[in-house]
Amino acid sequence: MSIATHWLGIDIGGTFTDVVLYDTAGGTSVSLKVLTTPGDPQRAVLRAVREMLERAALPASAIGRVVHATTLFTNALIERRGAVTGLITTEGFRDTLEIGRERKYDLYDIAIENPAPLVPRALRQEVAERIGPDGDVIVPLDLADLRAKLRVLQDAGVASVAIMFLHSYADPTHEKMAARAIAEWAPGLPVTPSHEVAPEIREYDRASTTVASAYVKPLAARYLQSLSDELAAIGVTAPLLLMLSNGGLTHIGEVIRNPVQMLESGPAAGALAAAFFGARDDCSELLGFDMGGTTAKLSLVEGGEPLIAYGFEAGRQKRFMEGSGLPIRISTVELIEIGAGGGSIARADALGLLKVGPDSAGSEPGPVCYGQGGTQPTVTDANLLLGYLNPDFFAGGTIHIDVAQADAAMRMLAERLGLTRDQAASGIHTLVNETMAGAARVHIAEHGRDPRGYALLVTGGGGPVHGYGVAKRLGITRLICPPSPGVASAWGLLVAPARVDRVRTITFPVQTGDLAALEAAYVALERDASQVVADAGLGTAPLVQRLADGRYVGQGFALVVPLPPGPYDSDDSRAALTAAFEVEYRRKFARSPPDVTLEFIAARVAVRTPAHDGDLAGLAAEAGGAVKAHRPAWFAEAGGFVDTPVYDRTRMAAGDTFSGPALVEDPGSTLVIGPGGQCRVSQSGSILVELA
Amino acid sequence: MLDAVTIEIMWTRIVSIVDEAAKVIARTAFSTLSNDANDYACVLTDADGASLAQNTYGIPSFIATLPATVRHVLAEFGAASMQDGDIYMTNDPWLGTGHLPDVCLVKPLFHAGQLVAFAATTSHVPDIGGQVRSIAPREIYEEGLHIPPVLFLRGGMPDALLVKLIRLNVRTPDQTMGDVWAQVAALEVMEARLRQLMTDYALTSLSTLANEIYDRSERAMRTAIRTVPEGVYHYEMQTDGMAGAGMVSPFTLRVALTVKDGRIDADYTGTTAQQPCAINCPLTYTYAMTAYAVRCALLPDLPNNEGMFRPVGVHAPEKTLLNPIFPAAVGGRAATGHYVPVLVFGALHQALPGKVMAAPGSPLWNMTLIGEDQGRRYACVLFFNGGLGGRAASDGVSCLSWPSNISTTPVEVAERAAPVLIRYKRLTPGSGGDGTHRGGLGQEALVELRGAAGSSAFFMTERTSIAAPGLGGGDAGGLGAVIIDGVAADTRRPHHLQQGSTVLIRTPGGGGYGPVAARDPALRERDRAQDYVSVG
Repeated sequence: MSIATHWLGIDIGGTFTDVVLYDTAGGTSVSLKVLTTPGDPQRAVLRAVREMLERAALPASAIGRVVHATTLFTNALIERRGAVTGLITTEGFRDTLEIGRERKYDLYDIAIENPAPLVPRALRQEVAERIGPDGDVIVPLDLADLRAKLRVLQDAGVASVAIMFLHSYADPTHEKMAARAIAEWAPGLPVTPSHEVAPEIREYDRASTTVASAYVKPLAARYLQSLSDELAAIGVTAPLLLMLSNGGLTHIGEVIRNPVQMLESGPAAGALAAAFFGARDDCSELLGFDMGGTTAKLSLVEGGEPLIAYGFEAGRQKRFMEGSGLPIRISTVELIEIGAGGGSIARADALGLLKVGPDSAGSEPGPVCYGQGGTQPTVTDANLLLGYLNPDFFAGGTIHIDVAQADAAMRMLAERLGLTRDQAASGIHTLVNETMAGAARVHIAEHGRDPRGYALLVTGGGGPVHGYGVAKRLGITRLICPPSPGVASAWGLLVAPARVDRVRTITFPVQTGDLAALEAAYVALERDASQVVADAGLGTAPLVQRLADGRYVGQGFALVVPLPPGPYDSDDSRAALTAAFEVEYRRKFARSPPDVTLEFIAARVAVRTPAHDGDLAGLAAEAGGAVKAHRPAWFAEAGGFVDTPVYDRTRMAAGDTFSGPALVEDPGSTLVIGPGGQCRVSQSGSILVELA
Repeated sequence: MLDAVTIEIMWTRIVSIVDEAAKVIARTAFSTLSNDANDYACVLTDADGASLAQNTYGIPSFIATLPATVRHVLAEFGAASMQDGDIYMTNDPWLGTGHLPDVCLVKPLFHAGQLVAFAATTSHVPDIGGQVRSIAPREIYEEGLHIPPVLFLRGGMPDALLVKLIRLNVRTPDQTMGDVWAQVAALEVMEARLRQLMTDYALTSLSTLANEIYDRSERAMRTAIRTVPEGVYHYEMQTDGMAGAGMVSPFTLRVALTVKDGRIDADYTGTTAQQPCAINCPLTYTYAMTAYAVRCALLPDLPNNEGMFRPVGVHAPEKTLLNPIFPAAVGGRAATGHYVPVLVFGALHQALPGKVMAAPGSPLWNMTLIGEDQGRRYACVLFFNGGLGGRAASDGVSCLSWPSNISTTPVEVAERAAPVLIRYKRLTPGSGGDGTHRGGLGQEALVELRGAAGSSAFFMTERTSIAAPGLGGGDAGGLGAVIIDGVAADTRRPHHLQQGSTVLIRTPGGGGYGPVAARDPALRERDRAQDYVSVG
């Protein structure tokens, strides 16, 4: 039996399944892309793994770690393919899930619809019970009532049950009793009580999260168990680790307990990859810009770590409309999604102005230049006509490109806009840059920061094409393009630390609250989270970070701030907690804290193991740099088309320097550098561009 | 001469400037109204006070109000007197947004020594003095501190006297002034970003860009209006009204909508006279609500700007509910103003069936509880919404804020903020007016007072005696009601609650759309299976 020398990353997306094999000793990697098999997703995975091992001539036992991310559960939510789920609530509150926040996500659309609840009204049953906010039992749990309501749900054929009792975040006694009773009466029926999933105040958000978790739980359990079994069957005995939405790793049991934790695992890997590649060139403040076929995603990395948000929305009714999805209260890598990608369609709007997206030509028919029936010009068509993309080397030469069709479609649009073809094409490119820059500015403003403090890290097929223009618009002076930017995000799987988050609602006025109770709350959360890390086999001496959701009394929102380590046991602790909050408050709001009482309303812990312990330096490209061609490319700074050198990325060596204008091609993308850009290939294999 | 691409790129930038400023307010404001309800707005205007852009998620109440405020400030002080670093302030309801809690700031922006634009913001501050939120005030003097247009900052220096006056007259000086400073930060962001834009594009003035945006938007709106057959469309509606000395009940709200030559003009002549209570709706708010309805029906996707509303006119005779004059009490302007889009839809339905919805169970309801519990004073506002009206293609959404956009208060939050136990909060089956597409359901919530010391309860309710009407053959929605200890309560006056008292809040359902007989049997079957209709 050979020693485990390799790590395996598996990322299942809606269309493709990516598998990356990394040699921890040699620092080299290979990747493989296969079509996802939606009905039976592990089939594609197993095929890819087998093929990869064969190519590398490795025994399965050489795999020491398997890390997995997937959008399967997200898609099950969006397509409503989860289990028939029942919900049991406190008497009087079965409609919480349907009534929601009572707010419109679109102010001007009178045809507005809310996302349909995952559990229809007839499968939402109420039982007599009531616990008050301070834990006082107002109405005892009526077990006979519970049994009758459970029977109603069973008769209706539910395959999963969620329990949502009011104030269970503060006192879960009744939820625990009910869950135990149901487990006894209906063995094998998955039960998801809300306090185990999202022990936070606000009943609609908690109910939504709990129901989503219950809804995908049977699917998650079935799929993960069978993937694990089948990997074992082909000899991969390394533990299967799963990526969470917050970028952490955990074991199967923890995901089955609460599968919504994994909903954003794919994008989380992308954000981790951005942080990882930034760090290799000593950049810890990054704006990650990942642009694909239909959308672009922006993420922020600060102090070397992706920013974490404490809630997001799944399955939006209107794709890019905040508030139109199902609220999911979990910790997740913070992402902004923008409806503009390579396939986004350009058109003249009612005002006679140019608009790009959010409608997309997708992969069918795709951009006009694919020659598959597309007639409306897309962003990719514009980039082709501007000389940025090479018609003979599209997706590494795998797609045939019809420049003439793209040209004709662009001319028609130009005519409608009263422009030349080149004005229309450059207008599309520039408008996309402005849209990305605008979204980034607003997002960064939410954090009280200035975009100029970040480096832009570009990934995906489109990030390297548009990054230079986006950076210029934001006043960003450094751009980083990692090696193989088209598949860079799968790397996040291999560099992830283990991370488990736990949260609990508390009431703690910082000057007067019960310190012993606060300390006890943190200790309990830490114990619980550390146990999960230990169970995953990821170490027993994890890093523990305490955080709190704090606010000044009267303020409508809370700020999540890192706290000093415990124990909290004296008035010095109160001073330290106050100071920790004030520092963060000043940093975020650039304003002195007001003279108002400070309170903590939730306690959080994040328990982590250190990030990857392997050395990934081997990513650097092969030596022997060269300009492989010249072609005309359009640059605003140059006043139009200029003859531009085209570099072959695979033949560039560390230390190479060159200046813009330049195009750098690799099989997955093209890096576009405008006049004045100063470029250097780093030891890390990334290309660093300094903008004038 | 600017081309179709350059205009779009610069306009995209300008919209992102006001959106960025809005985030500055959202993350620094104290008021839960600013945070949860987007009860604030950020606008950039040209040097004449015409609106270039308003923040994307700003609520409809503020459409066109801030540019009007800018023009008032400009008229009063004159461009020649303005300096870099000045900020003007007012909360005058007739010059601002229609009620005192919305404090408006206006900052002239200079570039290369020239006045090129104005940045303006408004935000609902936590307190502005006066009586607690209710409709009781008979004149504006009872509603709080009234600030005429004044210089708040001169060359960057605040007016110390003004700050003292504000701090002394409001219950929450730190939070109120904190929110004002949050607005100042937003104005400064707009200033910095606009200067950058003008530098990037070497602009010395915004007028070419502004005129392109206005003219194109106006043309688009006129084109949309021309799809409406010309004519005068009348609609009239009765609403609950007020019982009491010198007041009338019910109110009549009336519109004559003239569609002609690519213009829409709403004339509210025939509407009830202004009343000695705080439900009068200043013309600025009446205009905002009219423009909102027109945009919803005709051009929902175009960002708010001056040009698109040029072809929309409003007239309401003075001293009426929809154009009250000083010193009318206006604190609850929304209680009347929220009916305005319903009127416009009622009239437009005759010309454009299919583009409007039936009357929703709005306006917004709230109950304010004030009292003491175990030595702690509390003031807790609970919001409740009714159902949307039925639409041409679908049933109304249940319990959704419209035309405003205020979230409900979570039960778990309410029970911590005040000594109450909410026994239930559920859909009211059968409250949606029947129709080809029925109205959305209202809700009922039973609130029990647990505190030993009792509590005062204040209400803002509507449609408790006159329901949301249907459209095109649809039935009216269910009535709203407030029932205290089993007895229907007069919500126009405060009530004292004892420990154990219960308040049943039942919000109105939406009106139905289209003939009842034409309803799809499958929808009726679903309604029965899910208990959306009353049993029996």
